[in-house]
Order: sequence, then C-alpha cells, then structure tokens
Amino acid sequence: MSSFLNLFGKTPLTRRRALWGLLLIAPNTIGLFLFFGWPILQSFRLSFYEWNAFNTPRFVDIENFQRLYDDPMFRKALTNTLKLVGFVVPLEMGLSLSLALLLNQRLRGRILFRTIYFLPVVTSTVAASIVWAFVFQRRYGLMAAALEPFGYGDLNWLVDPDLVLFPIVVVTVWQRIGFDMVLFLAGLQNVPRVLHEAAMIDGANRWQRFRHVTLPMLSPTTFLILTLATISSFQIFDQVYIMTSRTIRGGVGGSARTLSLYLYESGFGQSSDYGYASAIAFILFMIILGITILQLIAQRRWVYYETESGE
Amino acid sequence: MSKSKTLVVLLLGALVISGVSLSSISTPAKAQDGGEAVITPVACAEPGELTMWVWDDNWGKIIGDSISAWEDTYCPGAEVDLQVVPWGEYWDVLTANAPTGELPDVFNMAQDRFYFYAKNDVLLNLQPYWDAAGVDTTVWGTGLVDPYRWGDNGDLYAGPVNWDTVAVFYNKDMFEAAGLELPTADWTWDDFAEAARALTNPDEDVYGAAVYMEYQAGYPNWIAATGTTPDVEAGQTRCTLQDEGSVEALNFLKGLYDEGVMPSVSIVGGSSADDVFNYWASGRVAMITGGSWKLPDALKIEDFGWDVVQLPKHPETGRSRSILHAVGYVANRQTANPDLAANLILYLVSDEGQKFFAEAGGVAPANPSPELQQMWIDSFGDTDVNVQTFVDATVDSQGVTVFGEIWDAINTEIVLNIFDLGLSVEEATQLACEFIDTQLPE
Repeated sequence: MSSFLNLFGKTPLTRRRALWGLLLIAPNTIGLFLFFGWPILQSFRLSFYEWNAFNTPRFVDIENFQRLYDDPMFRKALTNTLKLVGFVVPLEMGLSLSLALLLNQRLRGRILFRTIYFLPVVTSTVAASIVWAFVFQRRYGLMAAALEPFGYGDLNWLVDPDLVLFPIVVVTVWQRIGFDMVLFLAGLQNVPRVLHEAAMIDGANRWQRFRHVTLPMLSPTTFLILTLATISSFQIFDQVYIMTSRTIRGGVGGSARTLSLYLYESGFGQSSDYGYASAIAFILFMIILGITILQLIAQRRWVYYETESGE
Repeated sequence: MSKSKTLVVLLLGALVISGVSLSSISTPAKAQDGGEAVITPVACAEPGELTMWVWDDNWGKIIGDSISAWEDTYCPGAEVDLQVVPWGEYWDVLTANAPTGELPDVFNMAQDRFYFYAKNDVLLNLQPYWDAAGVDTTVWGTGLVDPYRWGDNGDLYAGPVNWDTVAVFYNKDMFEAAGLELPTADWTWDDFAEAARALTNPDEDVYGAAVYMEYQAGYPNWIAATGTTPDVEAGQTRCTLQDEGSVEALNFLKGLYDEGVMPSVSIVGGSSADDVFNYWASGRVAMITGGSWKLPDALKIEDFGWDVVQLPKHPETGRSRSILHAVGYVANRQTANPDLAANLILYLVSDEGQKFFAEAGGVAPANPSPELQQMWIDSFGDTDVNVQTFVDATVDSQGVTVFGEIWDAINTEIVLNIFDLGLSVEEATQLACEFIDTQLPE
C-alpha cells in the first residue's frame, strides 16, 4: 500500500497535494476519457470487426485494413487529402502572417480590418460553404463573372475533377486565416521592442529585422499554427460535403473525396460498414499522430523559446 | 439457392413484369355504389403505445390525421407518437438508433432500401397479419409490392403507401410562343427531339429540355422505353448500361445535349430531380421529366401555363415506360406491440386510411380502389392539368432496379460524365459498369 502511495509523492504533504490535484482535475479527465478516450478505443477495436449496426459484430482480424490497402477509392481520398494539406497549410500560414504584419502597423481603422478578417472564423462552415458553392457555380456564379473578361467564364469548378479541389482550398483558407492572424498578431506584439532597436543600431534593414528578429521570435506561434493547420487540414470534411453535395458528393470519381468524407460515407452511408470506417479513422489518426510527432521533433531545430537558456 | 438469392430473383423478376401490374389502376372502373372495399380495417385487439417515423412533412400531417381516425374508430386508447425525420437524415438516424434498440415500431420504407433492412432481419413479417385479415396481397399489383417481398414464400413485409410515376412537364406558353402543337400521349422520341430543338433559344438562355437527371425521373425512363432494364438486370446479375438499348437511349439524350438543346448539370446547378424542377419552374427550360409527387409544387406556378404528357414513345418499340416507385409502411421486428403495429398498418393501407392521402392532393394512394384513384385525380381541383397522365403511366411501367445510396452516386456519376464532362456514352457506361460489377452480389 505504501509503495502505491509513494507514486503520489514521498512525504504525506506532497501526497496530499497530489491527491488534491488529481481530485481537482478528475471531472475533466473523466469526461475526456468517457467521451473521447473510450470511443476512440472502441473505434480501434471495431476496426477489426465487421458490423453494420444491425448484424452481430463479427471479428475479421485485419481484413478491413487489407481491404483499405486494395481500395482505389481510399487511395484517391488519401491523395486528395494530402493535396489539400499541401495547398491549404502554406497558403493559410503565408496569408495570415502577411495580414498580421500589415495589421500590426499603425494603420487607420486597423481594429475594423482585424474584425473583418476575423468574421469568417465565427461563420459556420456549412453556411459559408453553401454561399461559396454559389460563388463557384458554373456560368451564373460570381467567380464566372469575374473571370469572364479573361475568357474563363465557363469553368466547371465544382464538377471538373481537375478543378474541384480549388474552391475547397479557397473556402478553407478564407475561413481560417482570421484565427491564425489573431495568433500571429499576439505573437508579434510579444516581440520585445528592444530587440528591434538593438538590431536597428546594428544597422539592420527592415528585411533583416524581419528575418532575424521577428521570425525567430515568432517561431513558437508559427509552430503552434503549423501544427493546428496541419491537423485540421487532414480533417477537412464540411466544405467538401456541402460544396459538392448538389452535384455529386465527393466529386466525380471521388475527385474531391477526403479521408474524413470517405470515413463518413463508409460508416454512415447505406452500407453502414462501421468496421471499415473505423479502420479509415484509425489510419487517419496514425497519419496525424505521425506527422505531429515529426513536427515536434523538427521544431527543436527551428523554434526559439525566449525563456530557454543556452539557445 | 440461398434465401437472399431466391428473394432477389423473385423480387426483380417481378419488377420486370410490373408493366402489366397496375392495369387495375390504369383503367379505373366507374365507382360502383356500395362497391366492396378493397381492404377493410379491423379493430385492434388491445390498445397500446406505438412510435412511428415518416420522412415527409406533408405525409406527417396526412398520416397524423389518419392515425387519429384509427385511434378514434378502431383502437380507442391507443397512442401513436408520430415523428417526422427529414429525408436527408432519415436513414442515418435509423442506422444510428439500431444498435440502441430504439427503432420506431412503425416506419416508412423505400423500395430501394428495403433489401438492406430485410437482409439484416430488422423488419416484422406482416404476411401472417395480411392472411389473418383476409387481405389478398396481389390486389396491389406486382410492381408496387414485390420489391417488398422477402423470404422463400415471398411474404409481404410492407404495406404500400402510394405509387409514383414519371411524365413530361412542359411549359405551354413556350410551346405556343414557338408556334408548336401541344404534345399528346402518342408522341415519339422524334417528335420530342423536334420540339426540344424548336423550343431552344440560346440568346435568351432558354433550353428545350432537361430530361436525364437522377434515376427515378431521369435517363432510366428512356432506357426502359427501349425494352432494356435500366442499370442492372433482374436478379442483380449484370450491368445493363452497355446493352444496345441503354447506349441508344443515352446517345439520343447526349445528341440533344451536344446540340445545345439540354443544359448540363452544372448549369442547372445541381443533379437532383428537384434541381431540374426548380430550373423548369424558373422558366429556363421548356420540358422536363418529373414525378407525380411534384404536382402540388407545380400547381403553385403562376408565371406560366403548363401541363403534363406521357413520356414520348420509342419509335420502334412504340412504348414509353415510366419508372414506378412505391413507399411502404414497415414494422420493427422487435416492437413490443407487433399486433398493434400490424393493425395500424392494415388501417393505413385500407380504403378508409388511404382516403386521407387521396383527398390531400399529393401522392397517389397505392390502394387500387377505383374510387380512391378518382378521388386523387379530383383532389387537384378543377385544374386543366391532365393528372390522369400519371395514372396512365402506371400501365407500362418499370419497377425500381437499383438498391440504395451507392446507386444514387452511380447514377449521378453517369449523368455528370456524359452531360457535363463530355465523356462519350461508351466511355461513361464502361466506367459505370466496371464499378457496378464490384457492387453486385456474387
């Protein structure tokens, strides 16, 4: 018994404190386990079963994963997801950083601009996607009108397999830059003035100050945004679901289907193949986990924490 | 032969002969005074509580009224909790509730989804109840109910609510403006194409026709007219899209599309039959194929005069064949009150229960009583619209041959590939058949 209690601390006082601490975080932890941890574990278990909600679950070993390996639709969904991540993350970060830099200056009405750029964040993705689907409608859409003078008025944005990812990238980036901008702004305001002043005295020009002072000091924020943006880009769902639903959900030949959408369709489509959907969820989880770990390892090389000594 | 195979063969075999199935409806005999009811309800043995789901708001109201009448007359003390779960989430919610055992006692079923629920043993066999009540289930005609039969004996698991057929909705004003004669039921594909060309006006962004979208109201009607079964052969044995008839029908439609007579899906803005209907209602296209269920919406149109006419006849076969679909009432096998659930369904499909549908001016009642059919036609008031067209379309009709959500996607994909992305019929049907082959049972 005493060895068990030692886990919580070496003296009665530290033990009592530790127990109090555990008690205080218990509501959250238990909730997290019940509503996230347990379902995740169940879903992992389910990925080894064949179950359609109506039959008795049947253990099928790794059959679901073998099916995934041979499934061209899964491969397509994986490729699409990677493409989206590849386009969305750099665009989102580049644009939001540029905006933050602009709005960090003494600009007339900058509060107003900050609010405007933040508005899409509080808009529901579903509503935004419906409106953007109109924007990208062939011939009658706003985009068609804008491109008409250049001879591209009849582009079939939401149907053509070569184009359909573009509107999705646009909506996603449009909706996310506001949030990233706010984070970047906070990061920028935390860069100590003295560093800029010191650099100026040393003769650094604007670009050099940005490159060697602002960017390194901003790197913790950049890292945070990079991680969040990557994770959420792997999970893109609503935009695709809504924007392609009026023509064909997931695009012709699955040209706009993401992993999350495929997961949803496998599980909640008419076949309700929950085992297969769980297998997709598991793969998606592993990809996101793997990339996040990689990012955590890589950050040691480029993220600068001011409080750390010896950097 | 396995149970499910037998069923599939039975079920689809029956669909093929659904052509003759509804002749009883198509030639409504004059209502006779004191004529016997087709189906008579019986009093329930013991009242209790039931839950029931439907997916349509209007139906919710109509069914609600008929349930009240049942509670008053045939089962005092019974209580039915009727819920409308919108179509968009209906099947998902059903699936989500299945593992928790919280399925409704009675719910609406679609012919193309029945297969899945029957296969997974979710539904109550209603055959003993039909037998006990003395209902001859063949009164409904094969196309209406055979998709709801299951098991070696072809037991009927659903009570059919309604039938839906497809016809051409056309804009009379446009016909008159173009100086064309209004179409009649004996028109052919050639007449149709000619009219469509004459009605097209690219300068005004007006198209002659849009008649290919979706399964039920779209291109499969044209394939059926050639005598080919649309999409999949009876018994789910084979993809038929590369058959001569399918290719001919699709090429006919693609020809019109290539001539600029029909808009693409992306120009209409969506691939559902509702999208086409709204496009037509906005006056952008002269002719569309639409279902009988769209009559109430069409009657609200005030901007132009319109009417309906049977699908044009294939020049060689001389046939026009509408896809026919019927919604059913099914009961949950695990209901606590199977007798009561069956009693309610019996009432809802009886002459008395179906009167509420017939009078409402919406969907056509499945109960073949000539009186009810006439009541349905009359329910649209003194309109000049030829409602009888839809009843006539049941004569030579084609039952639904596809099963479930994946088929919606297949159909949309065929349509988009041909009428949007410029694939040839041969390429598009080959792609479709390759995929369909992976979906057919072994």
